[in-house]
Amino acid sequence: MRSPSYLPCTLLGRRRLEGVEPAALGPEGLWLCRGTPALEMSNAREKKHAKKMRNQPTNVTLSSGFGAVDERGVKHHNGNEKSFQYQKQESHSGAPQHQQPKSTHVPSEPCMNEQPCKSQCRGEKGKGQAGWRGGHQGAAREIPKYITASTFAQARAAEVNAMLKAVTQKSSNSLVFQTLPRHMRRRAMSHNVKRLPRRLREIAQKEAEKTEHQKKEHSKNKCRKARRCHLNLLLEFNRRQKKNVWLETHIWHAKRFHMVKKWGYCLGESPTVKSYRASYRAMTKHCLLQDLSYYCCLELNGKEEEILKALARMCSIDTGLTFAAVHCLSGKRQGSLVLYRADKYPEEMLGPITFIWKPEGGTSTTPVNRKLWLWTHPTLKQDILTELKLVCQCVQPPEAAASIPEVVLTPHEEKSHIKQTENCKKRKRESDGEKNTNPVKKIVGDGTRNPFQPYSWTSSTTGIVVSDFTMEMNRYRLIGPLSHSILTEALKTASVYTEVEDAETVPHSWWVEACKNPDSVSVHHRQEAFFELLGGIASPAEFPAGTVLGLTVGDPRVNLPQKKAKALPSLEKCQDNEKVRQLRLEGVPVECAHSFIWNQDICKSVTENKISEKELNQMRSELMVPGSQLNLGHRESKIPILLIQQPGKVTGEDRLGWGSGWDVLLPKGWGMAFWIPFIYRGARVGGLKEALIHSRYKGAPSIPDDFPDCPAGILFAREQENNLLEKYKRHPPAKRPNYVKHGTLSPFRCPWGQLTRDWESRITTRAESLVSPSCSWANVKSDPGREDLCVVEDEQESKLSCEAETLKDKPGEPEEMMDTDSPGAAVAGDTTGEGVCGNDSGGTKGTFCVLRSRKLLKLLAAWCHPVARRNRVAIQASRMYQQQELTRATCLPILRDYPRSLVWVSLSLLKKGNPELHTMICIPSKDDILLLNEDRLYGGPQESRHSDPFKAKARKQKEKKTEKEQKQGGQHCAIVCAEGTPGLWPGSLPDITGHCSRTLLGFVTQGDFSLAAGCGEALGFVSLTGLLEMLLSQPADKRGLVLLRTPASLQYRFARIIIDI
Amino acid sequence: MRVVTRASGAWRSFHSWCGCSSVGASFLELLLAREERAGPGTRGGRRSLPKADMAENGETWGASEAELDPVEYTLRKRLPHRLPRRPNDIYVNMKTDFKAQLARCQKLLEGGGGGRGQGGCPEIYIHGLGLAINRAINIALQLQASSFGALQVAANTSTVELVDELEPETNTREPLTRTRNNSAIHIRVFRVTPK
Repeated sequence: MRSPSYLPCTLLGRRRLEGVEPAALGPEGLWLCRGTPALEMSNAREKKHAKKMRNQPTNVTLSSGFGAVDERGVKHHNGNEKSFQYQKQESHSGAPQHQQPKSTHVPSEPCMNEQPCKSQCRGEKGKGQAGWRGGHQGAAREIPKYITASTFAQARAAEVNAMLKAVTQKSSNSLVFQTLPRHMRRRAMSHNVKRLPRRLREIAQKEAEKTEHQKKEHSKNKCRKARRCHLNLLLEFNRRQKKNVWLETHIWHAKRFHMVKKWGYCLGESPTVKSYRASYRAMTKHCLLQDLSYYCCLELNGKEEEILKALARMCSIDTGLTFAAVHCLSGKRQGSLVLYRADKYPEEMLGPITFIWKPEGGTSTTPVNRKLWLWTHPTLKQDILTELKLVCQCVQPPEAAASIPEVVLTPHEEKSHIKQTENCKKRKRESDGEKNTNPVKKIVGDGTRNPFQPYSWTSSTTGIVVSDFTMEMNRYRLIGPLSHSILTEALKTASVYTEVEDAETVPHSWWVEACKNPDSVSVHHRQEAFFELLGGIASPAEFPAGTVLGLTVGDPRVNLPQKKAKALPSLEKCQDNEKVRQLRLEGVPVECAHSFIWNQDICKSVTENKISEKELNQMRSELMVPGSQLNLGHRESKIPILLIQQPGKVTGEDRLGWGSGWDVLLPKGWGMAFWIPFIYRGARVGGLKEALIHSRYKGAPSIPDDFPDCPAGILFAREQENNLLEKYKRHPPAKRPNYVKHGTLSPFRCPWGQLTRDWESRITTRAESLVSPSCSWANVKSDPGREDLCVVEDEQESKLSCEAETLKDKPGEPEEMMDTDSPGAAVAGDTTGEGVCGNDSGGTKGTFCVLRSRKLLKLLAAWCHPVARRNRVAIQASRMYQQQELTRATCLPILRDYPRSLVWVSLSLLKKGNPELHTMICIPSKDDILLLNEDRLYGGPQESRHSDPFKAKARKQKEKKTEKEQKQGGQHCAIVCAEGTPGLWPGSLPDITGHCSRTLLGFVTQGDFSLAAGCGEALGFVSLTGLLEMLLSQPADKRGLVLLRTPASLQYRFARIIIDI
Repeated sequence: MRVVTRASGAWRSFHSWCGCSSVGASFLELLLAREERAGPGTRGGRRSLPKADMAENGETWGASEAELDPVEYTLRKRLPHRLPRRPNDIYVNMKTDFKAQLARCQKLLEGGGGGRGQGGCPEIYIHGLGLAINRAINIALQLQASSFGALQVAANTSTVELVDELEPETNTREPLTRTRNNSAIHIRVFRVTPK
């Protein structure tokens, strides 16, 4: 309505101005001159104007020319007694052109003619055409004689009010000073109100107050000095770590690392300094230090047979050595394995753990209680703990255990009770810390957990005590060849008390007691000798994997160097060759694996008798010669520690021993005392990200990312999907990849279940279609020469079927395709799954599992290797190992036993390519391999662009919606919301294996350019069925070649599959 | 002189001194010719790992041959023992490109670009083990040929004891270690001052 009405008006205004010399117009005319371009509204401007007018009060309607009249009215009210208050109603579109020359060309009647001119201008300004016309038509002649003051004022008052409201009300969501034009802006306007023009100060003041309220309330009652006072600081720290536990090195990390709250802890993600490559170098050539104290320790205490019997249900010899392995059982090696729910192998995986048995003390004839430590990742702890309790039949919490006769109670149990009561005390002290004169203790170890929660469980039937030792110990990991020299320089073995003193007088009575025992002294000396030998060995990888070395060391703070310096191995230490050789061959003997850290009492006393940093510094300052070595004598603490060798990369052929190192276990409270000395010897510190890189280069799955079949892994995948999706949605659709067009069905998660299901159904459908050929398989199988031919046939058939599928898909409407295909596939998958499960020994029902049987993995590893003609050694080796040849006959039993399995593979890019998270692993077609054969520089095929049917659909719907809206007003329909984000596949996925031109085999879970290998490397899972299928169809010398495609790219890259075992 | 103490100190289990510092290029060429005649194929398995690649001629340690059933044990090769690395040590392997390794040696000798001073190292040591002996010799000879007589070579050979770990597949067996010997070469490439 509005726009046509003022269009002629603007035209008129223009014409008028052109016809008139500006001088004659007067100031108003000039002003109009400036104003006219604003009136020429283009479409965009119109919109902008509409936006501006959005918040105008409704009673001031400018379109109808009310404003113009109003202004005019006011004007005249001031000047003349003439009012045109009601003229605009009668005003009509007359012939204003005639008026114009008159008003300007007749200067002789200034009083009467100037007025309409002014009114014209005002009218223009107010965008009301009616008033303007009214001005000329009626106003010139019929001027009312009088007005009523009261009604007039009333009407004006309402309008003035509305105007004031409009002025004070802020329309945009920007701050006041942001609305100022640039030349009026001043520095520090945002926090100093006085820099603003006076008229805006009030609003700005209000705004500032608002933001002040939004900010967190500081304890302003205390000044900074008071807040930073030690006691208050500790209180504050204790409060802050209630929710997410801090490690002992937290404050050190918080100053240097990006901290994340994960798994109930505050952990360092990665250093704030740029250190990607530097950390890699540290791992390879120097030493990288990590704080792994967040790993959880669970202790099992009981008779060896009972423990073994209970735990045997949770693991399988199929996956490797179990708890009963001889060298682990004796306590001289650390073992690692994967736990399953009791009697559920190969399903329901719980998680990977490492474990150490406490070495037996002396006589082995009497059955003594053994201790076993399980180290788990915090995400896996709860599941494993509940299962352990179940397996060991521990149901009672300690309260219930306490009510049971004393005979059942082990000394450890009682101890834990004492600890618990102490805990409560400590908490209490914390709560009324202000009143208490005692300084509040920093929370260490068990102070972090809920004191009312039991952490020890006893079983009356098996006699096993399961205790949760979370945060009871510190665990540091040193990675890299220089870890030996850092360890030997930073740690000095404790001195033995030669003169027997009264045990009561010295603070470290346990050590005095130990020194009285000649056996333990001799063990200590042997440990010391072995520890000294470490300095002469260039890399931790020269040791047997998982070697355990117990040690008692002195306070490492005493011999802290003045300056940070890199510890380097010295040649002198490398001379003692016979002993070093012995050590390398046999490892550390069992006796030396003993450590006092297993004894909880000693650990507690060590923690309590720690000399505080302050005292130590005090003593240092009192030294006669400043800077000389501090000699504490008997007051020096003796700390029992445990060193555990971590084998680096043990599988595969490349980079053997890469990333090997030592884990140091310390009693709680001593974290920083060891941390700083390590750093002063030149260790670089890494966080979670570095740990991930370490495990990736090692080719080891990281926890919990790469365990998709355990509860923690599933949870992790879900969280990751949400995070990635959120990040994706933050970009506008034009600035993010359209995954539908890329043919990527699930860019943010790996649909393992569907992948395995699809492959299973694929195989079964093919088997059904090949019923008659399958009969002839038996005949053909015996003849290896004809096998290839059959495979070719097979391949062709599959191709044909693929083509048929695509043909079927193409003409059909995409929506229809989705509707028809996906339920059909799902139904097929389900039925076949059930059918297989019915006669299946493996019994995988509905879910997938990860293949961890070493025997099968070995077989697969051999099959994945390309067998070149000239390379007879491999063939010989395989014959020697009595391995089965890769044929359909040998595959069938595997497929039957593991119909829905995944295999952990590592992939190494042949040429270019940089794999990412969720990169797709696909099967190359025959042509791809041929092209690669012909051209050595062939980069890989390309996926043709897919169409995005959902986009068009969404657009259509949007149009429909807008139409509807126009018809019915603002009725919101939720169709678009249900559609999902544009660029992602909405709803359930269709058959994911055959969606693209190359058949999908699996997904990459970790991948990047590998600094260690110098090319792209990836780790991931592939479907076992698919892998076998692929291997069968590939020629022998090109076996194990796959294609990788990142989710946001159409380019495939060649890679080789390697199964390391 | 250093190289002698070094070799005898580190890779010492069984050392055969085929050459001392006076042995020059002719010896190396002889050695190289022999190597080439023998060919790499006969020397090791398909694994082209330089450090642990050689025919198993060493005495077995702790286990007899009959016990080494592949079903019961998995073979894991450990890293060879070696001394701390000085800046002028170059360990040759079969994985890195030959040219790159040669360039590294040249850079070290000439000292260009790096912050090690103008002159570079007066001498470098090139170490090769097993299959990489061939390549180490090649690199040394190339260096010498391209220097117009400014560089001299001196070679030492030694035997390195390698440890193979046999990881058991069953709970009842202990892990075993086997040692075997592999030959190694240490070539000292040094600058002779023209008189």
